[in-house]
Amino acid sequence: MNNRIKELRARYNYTQEDLAKKVNVRRETIVFLEKNKYNPSLKLAHDIARVFDSRIEDIFLFD
Amino acid sequence: MKKGIIVLIVTALVLFTTGVWFFTSKGDLNFFSIAEFAIIIVVVAFAVLLGVKRVSSAKRGEPPEDEMSKKVMRRTASLSYYISLYLWLVIMYFSDKIKFETHTIIGTGILGMAIVFAVCWAVFNFRGTRNE
Repeated sequence: MNNRIKELRARYNYTQEDLAKKVNVRRETIVFLEKNKYNPSLKLAHDIARVFDSRIEDIFLFD
Repeated sequence: MKKGIIVLIVTALVLFTTGVWFFTSKGDLNFFSIAEFAIIIVVVAFAVLLGVKRVSSAKRGEPPEDEMSKKVMRRTASLSYYISLYLWLVIMYFSDKIKFETHTIIGTGILGMAIVFAVCWAVFNFRGTRNE
C-alpha cells in the first residue's frame, strides 16, 4: 500500500510534528507512514483523511 | 510522562545496585560476573533509550504511546517469547553437558531473554511493522 501523506503535507505546509499532533500520534509514526513501513489503523487513516479534507482512498493507494 | 519517569527511576536504582555490587566485590570478578555486568549495562541502556524517547515525546506534546508503538511492543513480545523458548532449550541442553550452578543457569536465561527482547524491539522499531 502506498500513500500520498508526504505530498499532501507539503501542500498544506504541515511539518511531520504538526500532522502528528493533529492526529494524536508520535512523529515517528508519521515518518514510518511516509516511508511505507507502517500500515495505519482504520481510525488513524480516517483521522489523516479528515486533516487533509480528503477521502481515505484518495490518500492511501492500494496496489 | 509518568511511565517515562518511572522507567528512569527504576533504571537509576538498577545502576546504583550494580555499582554497589561492582565496588563491594573488590576486584574479585570472574568471567561470568563481568559478562553479567556487561549485559546489565546493555539492558539499562535500552531502558534509558525507551525512557528518554517517552519523555521527549511528552515534551513535544505528543502521546508517549500510540498505535504504532503498541503494535511494535506486541510484535516484540510475541517474537521474543517464541525465540526465548528455543533459548531455554539450548540452555537445558548445555546444562546437561556442563556443570553450572542453578542460579547461574537461571540468571543467564533471564538475561538472555532480556537481550532477545531488546534486539527484537530494535529490529521492529527501526524496520517498521508493515502488514504484508
